Amino acid sequence: MSTRPTLARRLNEWGLLLGVIGAVIGFIIGFAIGTIAIGNSFNTDHSLGSDPGILLGYALSALGFLAGLGFLNYPIGRLLGAKRPSEEDNAYMHGEAGGLRRYFRMTTDHKVIGLQYLVMILAFLFIGGLGAMFIRTELLTPSPTIANAQSYLTLVGLHSTLMIFMASAAIIGPFGNYFVPIMIGTRNMAFPRLEALTFWLLPPAGLILLSTVFLGGFTTGWTGYAPLADQNVLGMDAYLMGFALIGLSIGLSGLNMIATILTKRAPGMPLSRMPIFVWSVLVTSFLGALASPALIAAVLMEMFSRTYQTTFFVPAGGGSPYLWENLFWFFGHPEVYIFVIPAFGLIMEMLPVFTRKPLWGYRVGVGGMVGVGVLSFVVWQHHLFVSGLAPSLRPFYMFSTEMISVPTGIIYLVSLGTLWRARTRFSTPMLFIFAFFFNFLIGGFTGVFLSDVPSDFSLHASYFVQAHFHYTIMGAEVFALMGAIVYYLPKMTGRTMDIKLLRYQFWAVFLTFNGTFLSLIAVGILGMPRRVISYAAYLQPLNDSASIFALALGLSMALFLGILIWEVVIKQRVAAANPWESLGVEWQVPTPVPTFNFDRVPVSWSLPYDYDTGKPAADFGPVAPALTGA
Amino acid sequence: MRNRATAIRIVLIVWIVASIAGDVALAFGPIPPGQASDLASSESLTILLLAEIAWPVFAGVLAALFFTLVVNRLAPPTAVVSPEALRGNTRVQTAWIAATLVIVLSLAVYGTVALAIDQPGAGISTVSAALPMPTSTDQPLEVQVIAQQWWFTYRYPTYGGIETSQLVLPVNQKIQFHITSLDVTHSFWFYALGVKGDAVPLNDNVVTATPTQTGTYRVQCSELCGLWHGNMSDNTAMVVSPSDFATWIQQQTTLDAPIMKFLVPYSHTYEPSPTIYGT
Repeated sequence: MSTRPTLARRLNEWGLLLGVIGAVIGFIIGFAIGTIAIGNSFNTDHSLGSDPGILLGYALSALGFLAGLGFLNYPIGRLLGAKRPSEEDNAYMHGEAGGLRRYFRMTTDHKVIGLQYLVMILAFLFIGGLGAMFIRTELLTPSPTIANAQSYLTLVGLHSTLMIFMASAAIIGPFGNYFVPIMIGTRNMAFPRLEALTFWLLPPAGLILLSTVFLGGFTTGWTGYAPLADQNVLGMDAYLMGFALIGLSIGLSGLNMIATILTKRAPGMPLSRMPIFVWSVLVTSFLGALASPALIAAVLMEMFSRTYQTTFFVPAGGGSPYLWENLFWFFGHPEVYIFVIPAFGLIMEMLPVFTRKPLWGYRVGVGGMVGVGVLSFVVWQHHLFVSGLAPSLRPFYMFSTEMISVPTGIIYLVSLGTLWRARTRFSTPMLFIFAFFFNFLIGGFTGVFLSDVPSDFSLHASYFVQAHFHYTIMGAEVFALMGAIVYYLPKMTGRTMDIKLLRYQFWAVFLTFNGTFLSLIAVGILGMPRRVISYAAYLQPLNDSASIFALALGLSMALFLGILIWEVVIKQRVAAANPWESLGVEWQVPTPVPTFNFDRVPVSWSLPYDYDTGKPAADFGPVAPALTGA
Repeated sequence: MRNRATAIRIVLIVWIVASIAGDVALAFGPIPPGQASDLASSESLTILLLAEIAWPVFAGVLAALFFTLVVNRLAPPTAVVSPEALRGNTRVQTAWIAATLVIVLSLAVYGTVALAIDQPGAGISTVSAALPMPTSTDQPLEVQVIAQQWWFTYRYPTYGGIETSQLVLPVNQKIQFHITSLDVTHSFWFYALGVKGDAVPLNDNVVTATPTQTGTYRVQCSELCGLWHGNMSDNTAMVVSPSDFATWIQQQTTLDAPIMKFLVPYSHTYEPSPTIYGT
C-alpha cells in the first residue's frame, strides 16, 4: 500500500514526458487505423495521409497526451476499486512543496493552473502576433510579394484562429482561475481535475492547429465556411481538431466556474456581495457552457463530411451552407462576449483601487453584464445580413444588435460614476484602463454602423469590420489583459515590472494600435474586402500606413513581453505585498498564496470597494493566521 | 468650487463646438459608397445620419472621460459627497438607461423604415421564372451574377439568356441582380452601386438597384472563397447610356450565337456538375 502512491507520484512527476510519448503513440495508432483500415475515401490526392488518419491520429494523440499526464489515473483507479486518495496525496496533487516543477505537471491547484494559463496565453499571443506581422508586411504592396495565395490564407487562418484561442481564455484563464477562488473565499475549485483538464487541452489544441503548416494549410480563415472547407487539403483537419479541443476547454471551464461560484462562496457572501470580476466570470461561464456545444457540433459535422462524406453543408447533397453559418455564428457571437465581458469585470474591479472610491452603481453594472450576456445569444444573424437569408428576419436582428449598446453603455456609466470627483491615481494599470475605454468606445461606435442593415450593406465583410473587431478584441480585451498583468503580477509571482518603463511602452502600444486600426477603418470604408492578398492600387497609401504602424505595434507588444521576461523571470524584481493598496480579499492573503489559500475560510463582510471608509471586506478569523502567513 | 465649475463649463463648450464642427464637416464630406445608384445614395445617407448622431455622443463620452480623469485631478472635490451618492444614484442611472434606450430604439425604427422603403438588399426570390423585358425604366431588368472559383459570369435572361464575362448596365434603369454560385459561398460586391449579396450554391439572392451615373467600376468578391479570393475582382464593370447598352448587347448576342446551343437553359440556380463536390 505504501509503494503505490510513490509510483503514481513518480509517474506524475514525469507526466509531461509521458504525455508526449502518449501523444506520439496515440497518433501512430490513430493514423494507422484511419489510413490503413478506413483509408482515403474520396480525397485521393493526399500524399501525407488521409482525412480519417489525420483526424483519428490527432484525437488519439490528444487522448494519449492527457493519459500520459495522468488524467485517467483517478477515474480508472476508482473503477478498479482503488481507495480514495489520502489527504497527503491530495496535497501532493495540489502542488504542495512542488517547487518550480509543479508548473510542468498536472496539478489541481488553481493558482498553478492560472500561471500555466498566463504563459500559454502569452505564447499564443506572440505566435499569433508574428502572423499579423507577416500579413501586414505582405499587404505593403497591392500584389503578392513575400507570400503566395496559399501561404497567405494559411497565415490569415492561423493568426485569426490562434488569436481566438488566446482571446477566449486570455482573462478568464489566468485571472479567473487564479483569483476567483480567492475572491469568493474558497480553498479550491468545485472540480479541480476538470480545471486542470481545461488548461491541458490548450497545448495540444495549439500544436495541432500549428501543424496545419505541414499539412498544406487551410484557406477558410477562422470561420471555416463550408463547402469551401470540404475542398481543403489535410490542413483543414488540423483546424477542425484544434477548434474542437478549444470548444471543449471553453465549455468545461464554464461548467466548472459556474459550479464553483454558485456553490463554494465563503460564508457571508450572497450573490449580491460578490466582487464584480467574479460576476463577469459567472456570466461568461454561462456563455461558454451554452455556446461551445454549437461549435463542437458544427466541427464534428464537418469532420464527418470530410471522412464519411456526409453532406450537411453541401446543397447538391441536400444540405445547406447556411447550416454551418448559423451553427458557427450561434457560437461565434456569444464568443466575442466571452472575450470582452471578463475585461469589463476586470476593469470595474481595478477602477475603485485607482480612484480610491467605492464602485459606483455595482448593481446596474452587474445588470449590464448579465444584459450583454443574455442579448449575445440573439444577435448572431447580423453576421448574415447579406447572406440571402429571409429578409424579414433582419429588422429583429438589427434591433437586438443595437440593443446591446444599452447594457454596454451601463458599463461606461458605472465607470464614469466611479471616476466622478475622484482623485485618480495615474499608475500604469490606470493608463491601460483609460485606453480600454477609449478603444472600446471606437469599437462600439463602429459597431453601430454594422448593426444597421442599410449601412452594413456597404461595410459588411470589409476592412471596416476587421478594424471594428480588432478595436473590441485587441483594443479592449488585450489592453485590459496587459493592465491586469501589470496589476496582478505582484500577487501572482511576488515580482513586479518596472512600471515607469512600462509607461513609455503603454504610449507606444496605444498610439501605434490606433494608427494601425484607424487606417484600416478608412481602408474598409473605401471598399477593401477582408482576407485578400491583392487589392486595388488606390488603397496602397492607407495600407502602407496601417502596415508601418502595425510593425511598430508589433515591436511595442514585443517590448511588453521583453520587459515582462527581463524583470520577472531574469531580474526578479521583488514586489511590495500590496503595491496598489487594494482592499480586495486577494491582496490580503500572503504572497506567495498558501497552497490551500486560507487556513480558515474568511467570512465576507462587504464588497471590497469601501475606499471611503477603508473597511476591510472580510474577516480572516480571530487569530488571522492567513494574514501573518503562518 | 469655482475651478470645478469653470472646468465643467470649458469642457461643455469644447464638446458643443467639437460636436457642431464635426457634424458640419461630415455633412460636407464625401460619404461612401457615393451617389452612383439610388441604393448607394440611400446607404450614404444612412451612414451620414448615423455618423451625425454618433459623433456628438462619442465626443460627449470622451469629454466626460477626459473631465473625470484629468480635471478632477487638477481641481480636487470640495463638496462633501454622501456615502449613498458614492455608491450610485438611481435617478442618474435611470436617466442614462432611458437616454440610451431612446437613441437605440429610434435607430432601430429608422433602420427598419429605411429597410422597408428602399428594400436595399438581398433576399431570396420566390419566383422561379425570369422577369419579362422591362417596358419602362421603373420595371426591373434582370441580370444574373454567377460566381465560381474565381470569377463572375453574367447572364441577361431578357436578351435570350446570353452569357458574358463583363458586366455592363444601362444607366437609370432599375436592375434586379440575381446572385448565385456554382461551387462555394462567394459574395458579389459592386462597391459603387452599394450592391452586396452572398452567392450561395443552389440559392438565388436578389438585390435591386438603379445606377444613376455612367462610368467604369470595380466589382469584387467579398467572402473568402479559397485560393484566389483576393484576385476575384474585375475593374471593367460599366454603367453606360441606354443606346451604348443596346449596341453592346447586340455585339454580345452576335458573339454568343455559336455557343448558345451549348449553354444550359437560363435558371435562377444551377446544379453543379458533377454533383459530387471536393474534386
